[in-house]
Amino acid sequence: MTEEDSIFDPTLKKKKKKKKTFDIDAALAEGDTVESAPSAADELFKDDVDDLDLDLKKKKKKKKTFNLDDLDNALPDKEEGEGEGGNQDDVAMDDNFDLELDFSKAKKKKKKKKDLDELMAEADDKQEDKENVERLPDEVDESSVQWMSSDRDYTYEELLNRVFEIMRDKNPDMVAGKKQKFVMKPPQVVRIGTKKTSFANFTEICKTLHRQPKHLLDFLLAELGTSGSVDGNSQLIIKGRFQQKQIENVLRRYIKEYVTCHTCRSPDTILQKDTRLFFLQCETCGSRCSVASIKSGFQAVTSKRAAIRAKTA
Amino acid sequence: MSIQNLNTFDPFADASKGSEDDVQDGLVHIRIQQRNGRKTLTTVQGLSSDYDLKKIVRACKKEFACNGTVIEHPEYGEVLQLQGDQRENICQWLTKSGLAKPDQLKVHGF
Ligand SMILES: [Zn+2]
Repeated sequence: MTEEDSIFDPTLKKKKKKKKTFDIDAALAEGDTVESAPSAADELFKDDVDDLDLDLKKKKKKKKTFNLDDLDNALPDKEEGEGEGGNQDDVAMDDNFDLELDFSKAKKKKKKKKDLDELMAEADDKQEDKENVERLPDEVDESSVQWMSSDRDYTYEELLNRVFEIMRDKNPDMVAGKKQKFVMKPPQVVRIGTKKTSFANFTEICKTLHRQPKHLLDFLLAELGTSGSVDGNSQLIIKGRFQQKQIENVLRRYIKEYVTCHTCRSPDTILQKDTRLFFLQCETCGSRCSVASIKSGFQAVTSKRAAIRAKTA
Repeated sequence: MSIQNLNTFDPFADASKGSEDDVQDGLVHIRIQQRNGRKTLTTVQGLSSDYDLKKIVRACKKEFACNGTVIEHPEYGEVLQLQGDQRENICQWLTKSGLAKPDQLKVHGF
């Protein structure tokens, strides 16, 4: 840090500090913890950094998804189309369009994944970060070679890249320990026939969350207002048709209520049953609070009444 | 999410009730259930018995253009039942008409 400081002294320090606050805040203030009134300027800056951070990551991903072959394919095509004109243009347009479509699809997917990750206590992000760390040096070195020697104005992006790179380079522990995340795989949800849904990695998710399968099962079934059970392959079979994002939603609520600490949002918690109530004991901050009991409440009759009558009679 | 730790807690409350179904938790539970096919229905449990549920269901049916009924349940009291996913609608309507405060509403489901 010492050499860099001498060059970069004022901006670097400032940025670093701010970045740090952002990270901690983001980690803590995720969800609905009310922050102790941050100043408007701070808020603004945080947003800024946040946006840029996301941009940055997106860009990285773009680069990753676009391999060289794609680019090679795309460029000559375009030139050809422009040079020859006529119906070649159409072909080129088509190609371009395809490419665009592909691209947007890929982007969307990535974006969606990121959304999920973020909301699901930011799973996988760690890996991403690692990737970034691994990937960044070459790229930044490359780009810095390009623009460090040139006379033009540096773009914000380039400078930000550089400062992030330096930060990561000098503080490897900051990347590793900046957020308490637990790796969370998205639920694998598959329809079985027309009336049932399989939640294939149910048991695995229970293990990741360190919760009893029965507890999560009770919650899922109560929330979805249906019935279901774990089968021999340790997958959960739920009656009714559910999509992955719906299950995800319910899981997210489960994590919020029964996994992450209500005070510090750390996922390092223990759920204990005391008399009739469940308590969430945090291993990080030591807080202990009761959590809502799982009740399915009123269940309307949805199956054929005649069938019920036949069963009970 | 409400701050549960600040709620007044009566340690003998469930002793007198003898079971853990503290039905009157002061919340209005809005749930969704799947029926056959794409059909769903919405149930509203926990509305105060001071209200005339029949009048409410009449208003809701008209407002959301869906069918609905009131079901008398031995444990949960009168429960509103509406056809389709009316969770958004009912939340807005209950808040707008002042029958329930937004923090009283607990929406379940996917
Ligand atoms: Zn905690």
